[in-house]
This record gives sequence, C-alpha cells and structure tokens, in this order.
Amino acid sequence: MVREVSESCVESLLSEIVLSYCSGFYANKPELAARRIEAIGFQVGHQLSERYTMDRPRFTDNLEAIKFICKDFWSELFKKQIDNLKTNHRGTFVLQDNRFRWLAHMSIDPLVQASGNIQDPSAMAENKSAQATGMHLYFPCGIIRGTLSNLGIECAVSADISNLPACELITLITYNSFSYI
Amino acid sequence: MIVCLAVVGHENNPLYIQSFTESDDALKLHHIVHCSLDVIDERVNNPKKSSPAINEAFLGLLYPTENYKVYGYLTNTKVKFILVTTDLDIRDADVRNFFRKFHAAYVDAVSNPFHIPGKKITSRTFGERVSSIVKPFGLNSAS
Repeated sequence: MVREVSESCVESLLSEIVLSYCSGFYANKPELAARRIEAIGFQVGHQLSERYTMDRPRFTDNLEAIKFICKDFWSELFKKQIDNLKTNHRGTFVLQDNRFRWLAHMSIDPLVQASGNIQDPSAMAENKSAQATGMHLYFPCGIIRGTLSNLGIECAVSADISNLPACELITLITYNSFSYI
Repeated sequence: MIVCLAVVGHENNPLYIQSFTESDDALKLHHIVHCSLDVIDERVNNPKKSSPAINEAFLGLLYPTENYKVYGYLTNTKVKFILVTTDLDIRDADVRNFFRKFHAAYVDAVSNPFHIPGKKITSRTFGERVSSIVKPFGLNSAS
C-alpha cells in the first residue's frame, strides 16, 4: 500500500520549520537553529533509510552506499537521481543535483550570480538571501547524514549553493572503513 | 511452531524479544538468541566461498540445537532478526517469507516518530502485527 503526500504540504512544512527555528525559537542564533534543523533531518534520514534499504542486498563498501543514495534514495524522495557524483577516492563525495526540488520554488536574487568582493549594500543583501537559502539546506544535509549513519558510515555533510537552483552536497566520510557488525 | 522472536540492534542491544510459548523457559530462549548473535558475526565476517550470495539479508539456518532451529536475518542497517522454532521440517521459502513480513512490520514500527532509535520497541500495534504473522506460520509448514 503506497501512501501519497502532497508536495506543496511538504514544501510548506519545510519552509515553516526553517522559519520557526530561525525567527522563532533561536531568533538570533543561526548556528543553533541550523544544528536543530539538521538534527531533525538526521532522525528523518535514519528512519527513511530503514524503509528504503528493505529489499536490497547488503552494501559492500562506502561507494555502494553513496550510489544507493544517489540513485534509489534520491528517486524515492525527489523522483529523480543525483545528476553528478564526484569523489576524491579518499572519503569525500560531492553529490550534485542540477535542480534541487525543495529549492525550485525559491526566488534567486539576480545579484547573487555576480561574483567579486564588492563592499556595498547590495553585496550585504546578496549575503542575506544566500544565507536564508542556505538555512533550507540543513534539513537535506541531515537526511543524508542520518541515512549514512544508519548504514554504519559516520560522515559530515555540507551544502554548496553557488549556482542555484543547482545544489552540491559535500559528504565527508570520517570513519574510513566499512564496518559489518 | 515459532517459539521465540528477537530483534537485536547493531550494537547487540535487544530491541524486541518475544516468546510465544509458556511451557519453555524464557531465559533459555534468550540464551539461545544470545548465542546465535556470535554465529551471525562469524557468518558475516568470514563468508564461505561456496555460499551463493554473501550480501543477502537472509542468513539461513544458524545452528540447530537439540529441540530448536534458529534462523537469522541481517538488514542493511545492521539490525538482526532471530527466529527460534521447534518445527523440524520447515521450508526455507517459508522462513524467508516470514522474515520479509517481519521486516515490513519492523520498518513501520521504527518509522514511528516517538520511537527512540536504540531503545526497545514498545508499540502495541507492532506486537499485534507480529502475532498475526506468527500465527499462520506453523499451519503452513505442518502440511
């Protein structure tokens, strides 16, 4: 039995989470808000990984687990796969999604696209909008971290949004050996 | 007949132990489950070259004792399911089927936002679902 959820409900829930934590609970402490949002994502990822790894044979190494996230896991969550996967073969993986679904409906400030260190008010506005958009990425980072941790892989996940709506999720695996039990 | 079912987490912490018979000593069954954890460790860390799929979740018959058979199943998230049964002529396919349904019930129980990962599963719905999976098990293989 497959249950469906309305996508607009999920997106409003996510923006509401970010809003409540950033402007409500931890109003002037963005680091604490970010940490809480990431922790929520961690728990969600933990539980989702149980469900989506159910019918699969066990993974033999880190790369297989990451490939599972790029293909099956991402298709279950976002109906598409990760567009590009890069690795340095030393535990760092960069997952690139060219059109991240949860950021798709957010406005992109055209000033953000311009690069360079310009010290003027428009640059401050760029930083603010980039920072606001960045807060929305802590949840998916937490999801990935929760999923990998449930598979036995400790890691740290961060996001890079220099080219919206594409987003890169950088996964650094801290414990570099695959533990069976 | 299924005598005992156990779910053990990845640090060998018990998440769910249930015996389905009053006649046998619950402690003896817990002891059997505990010993089978070692067998699972061995099976996974030293895969026999002859075994067809070293990455399969279903581990098969772990070891037979004088009255019981013990079957194991290891999920991707390193959670172990252990089944102790007194039936001596069970088909492999039945046990696999059973584990598949049990895995589905386990996933649903763990997806409960009030469930704390690492602690015991306290959901009553899970208990009822497990009982409903366990009941028809003996009947099928009795034929």
